[in-house]
Amino acid sequence: MMNRRDFLAKGSTAAGAGLVLAAPSILKAADGNNDKINVALIGMGKQGRVLFEAMSNIPGLHFQAVCDIWDYNLKGGAGKVRALQGAMPNTYTDIDDLLEKEKGLDVAIVATPDFWHSPHTVKCLEAGLDVYCEKMMSNTIEGARAIVRATEKSGKLCQIGHQRRSNPRYRFTLDHLINNNKVCGTIVNINGQWNRALKSSQDISYNKRLTIDSERLTKYGFKDMHQFMNWRFYRDLSGGPISDLGAHQIDVFGWFLNCKPKSVYASGGNDYFKTREHFDNVMAIFEYDAPQGPVRAFYQVLTTTSAGGGFYESFMGTDGTVNISEMASSSAIYRESTAPEWEDLVNRGYMRKKPAPPKPAASDGVASYESAAPEEYTIPGVLNKPPHQPHLENFFASVRGNAKLNCDARHAFESEAPIFWVNPSALKKEPIVFTPEQLQV
Amino acid sequence: MSEKNSTLGQVFATLLLRLWLGIRALQTGVEKFAGKVMSEQSVEVDGKAYDPDLTEVASTKAYSLDNYSGVPAALKETFKGEPLMMNWALNIFDKVLGPALIILGITILLGVANRVSLLILGLIYVGLTWGLILIKQDSGVAWLGIHVVMVAMALNWANHNRLCILKKW
Repeated sequence: MMNRRDFLAKGSTAAGAGLVLAAPSILKAADGNNDKINVALIGMGKQGRVLFEAMSNIPGLHFQAVCDIWDYNLKGGAGKVRALQGAMPNTYTDIDDLLEKEKGLDVAIVATPDFWHSPHTVKCLEAGLDVYCEKMMSNTIEGARAIVRATEKSGKLCQIGHQRRSNPRYRFTLDHLINNNKVCGTIVNINGQWNRALKSSQDISYNKRLTIDSERLTKYGFKDMHQFMNWRFYRDLSGGPISDLGAHQIDVFGWFLNCKPKSVYASGGNDYFKTREHFDNVMAIFEYDAPQGPVRAFYQVLTTTSAGGGFYESFMGTDGTVNISEMASSSAIYRESTAPEWEDLVNRGYMRKKPAPPKPAASDGVASYESAAPEEYTIPGVLNKPPHQPHLENFFASVRGNAKLNCDARHAFESEAPIFWVNPSALKKEPIVFTPEQLQV
Repeated sequence: MSEKNSTLGQVFATLLLRLWLGIRALQTGVEKFAGKVMSEQSVEVDGKAYDPDLTEVASTKAYSLDNYSGVPAALKETFKGEPLMMNWALNIFDKVLGPALIILGITILLGVANRVSLLILGLIYVGLTWGLILIKQDSGVAWLGIHVVMVAMALNWANHNRLCILKKW
């Protein structure tokens, strides 16, 4: 009997590449019991649940199996699946057990701790599944390379969870504002940040009655329950804040510039959380030789203060600056006083103009040295669904043969490779000028 | 002074004043039932929807009984801290203000018992003025003071009223 994967493989060959269409609207029309995609959820912790909630809005999915080493996550996740589809999924604490016993699976969603991303993704690809894996691809560059190799060897699809790549606001900004209409002019500098308050950066606690037995913890690479709950603080398990938070935004730098950086120089420290293995504050400067000219990009991730407007990416050019963020309220466009008028773009709907800022008081002596305040505009619209949903929709549309992945493993590797060198640069307090080998699979 | 002794100017002045006060009361009462209906619309670029997932929230004004709010919520909160403001009185005012203004607006415009209607309208304005004095909204007090002066003028010129359905009272 032909299962869904065989059908899709044969169907896509017969249909040919010419049938690659824009995803989301096609996806919505594809609902139907005979068109179900059977999904295994690998990891049902916080991020796994976020992805599940986003997927619960996507028609045509059947959540067949759930895997998590923590019974609390496993039971909770299975309960959510039952609430959604009316039947309990099969539950596993071990992924090998799941892959061995489950028949008819099409897709795996990997949302385990970073150091398990690569082994789990590779296993699933080798088992013939298409995989959506959370970013970072791994806590090591070798792990990330292994995913690319396994993807290309298996011929399966592997989407990495840089969800901004499918966000229509980001795509609109890149395609229409930065590329087609060149509102930035020549981009000369990029500034990005994710500043998070101490309150959100504390150790994650847990109910002692729910402790996983030490044998199971050891089997899956954790020395104790605290490390299991707080794996992001440990160098062997995670890339730290620059990886957890920075990877999303540094990905946007390269995506928008359409090139890789040529060097990175970083500084970091354990400024507040003295005992953590990873730096709590990191600042990095990437240098790019972009097609349009040289660009420096400054990025900071601070887990000790929310000052400075939270998280955003700012593309600064000779004609204007685009500030973009997943939070629509943190997005804005500023026109330099010498730039061409944008009235036509406003009239055609590409941007909205905000009221002019108040002029500085005449008595303010310093104001005379300032450039004129730029006019402020906004990027039109907000994403009307959970932030991960469009990226997952793109993945499932690609599984159905109706779209192309927005962030496949190879492109994700090209984006993530420079990030793996931030912590080494900060540790050595030296700039790293990339060699081709450092950024290649 | 009898109606027969009215000059054309006095008749027009009274009519204008009646119209202004009637419309002011009627529409203010109707606005107590106004609210916003929020709707999502796709972002349009060059006249075409860009992406169904990229939308803007548009709000349109609509009237319904569900929207009714006699005293604005912010003012109600402010009054809660006023020891001289009786809660039961505020609740009554909140419930009747909108319908009362609508009814009075209609009776003044149609000329139904104009003197009584104007008196009640004036008393409502006095009541509102007292509330604003409590919370030290001096500009609002002055604003309402002008209304009361206009009501008093309309009462004073009531003998010049024409085009009335019920002239008595």
